[in-house]
Amino acid sequence: MTPDNHHLEADLLALVRSRGADHARVEPDTDLIDAGLLDSLLLTDLILHIEERYAVAFDASDVSPANFRSVATMAELVRGRSPAAQSA
Amino acid sequence: MKWPLQDRPVPDDRIPLYNRFYLHAPRASHVDPTMVWGTEIDADALQVFLRERNRGGKVLLTTAHALIRATALALAQYPALNVRLVGRRIFAFRDVSIRTAFVHRRTGEIDVLLISAADQKSLEQIGQEVWQRLLQAARGKGPRDRDRGRLRETSPFWFRQLLRMYGFLDRHFRLPSVGRLDELRGGAAMVNDLSFPGAPPIRSYKPTRFPDPSDSLNLTLGAIESKVVARGDGFAETHVMPLFVRADHRLVDAYQVGRFVAAVRDLLSHPERLDAAATTPQAVPVAAASQ
Repeated sequence: MTPDNHHLEADLLALVRSRGADHARVEPDTDLIDAGLLDSLLLTDLILHIEERYAVAFDASDVSPANFRSVATMAELVRGRSPAAQSA
Repeated sequence: MKWPLQDRPVPDDRIPLYNRFYLHAPRASHVDPTMVWGTEIDADALQVFLRERNRGGKVLLTTAHALIRATALALAQYPALNVRLVGRRIFAFRDVSIRTAFVHRRTGEIDVLLISAADQKSLEQIGQEVWQRLLQAARGKGPRDRDRGRLRETSPFWFRQLLRMYGFLDRHFRLPSVGRLDELRGGAAMVNDLSFPGAPPIRSYKPTRFPDPSDSLNLTLGAIESKVVARGDGFAETHVMPLFVRADHRLVDAYQVGRFVAAVRDLLSHPERLDAAATTPQAVPVAAASQ
């Protein structure tokens, strides 16, 4: 089954918000790149988290601004790449 | 097997006199050849540039990637700094390769990666190579991580003996790099991006020297800070990032370091120049450098 949109965003949002005071106000559509909140540590943590929990594989060519601009774009990426979505 | 250094050392008559004082100083004099130059760069220009490039680009670019590229271009311009000591001889590196530190997500430790021939690679190529290595490290599955794991399991006694033996050979002979771990000796410069979210402002920073004579130069970038500057008849808010450069007076003098720092600063403050091809090397100004 394709991951539920609401739960997927909430899951990724919780990870991002856990990074400190500056991240606590992040919303699904917050531009993490323009806000200077997406550093290499957070990005690798997000990728590992997604790979482990949703069985979605990434490589370096996936690390693009379009894919990781916001929690919403990340959720969209996971939904499109999840095994359930691909077999549908 | 790779030979990171040129076959012959820099001739003695090309080494400025005061560098030779430091180079040949007896151990008993406890000479300290370390120089640290602190400056700041225009963060507004760099942030605007990265924001634009991240608007439609295929690779997510960061200040770390810009710092790697700027350092490589400046080293290509001033090759007198792209050198290391072997004994009391100075050897130039064949390529402009840059080391950078990162947090190894699997172990939670600092690790180092090398971008070889970074002056020949675009900002996007550098970015993609860095992300690839970061993801490999985070998964802990790369061959280099297995080598690293074996080294971690070495007892303190044997670790020390290994460092002593390898250090002796590396200090006195022009060695090739043979493994995945010692390939890091392939570059003179190490860059460190400490401008992560939440990093405190840096007033002073002395980058440490790794127990490895190829670590000739270190550049560390700090977090963005606000600053009020006079502009016309009034004042304006601007943003800057501190940049600290550690160099070795046995290899270069303050004049050369100053010109190199100015080149890096210029590239980061005018980041559109990061897209330019590496410029022609500058001749070593022996007369000026020995002042």
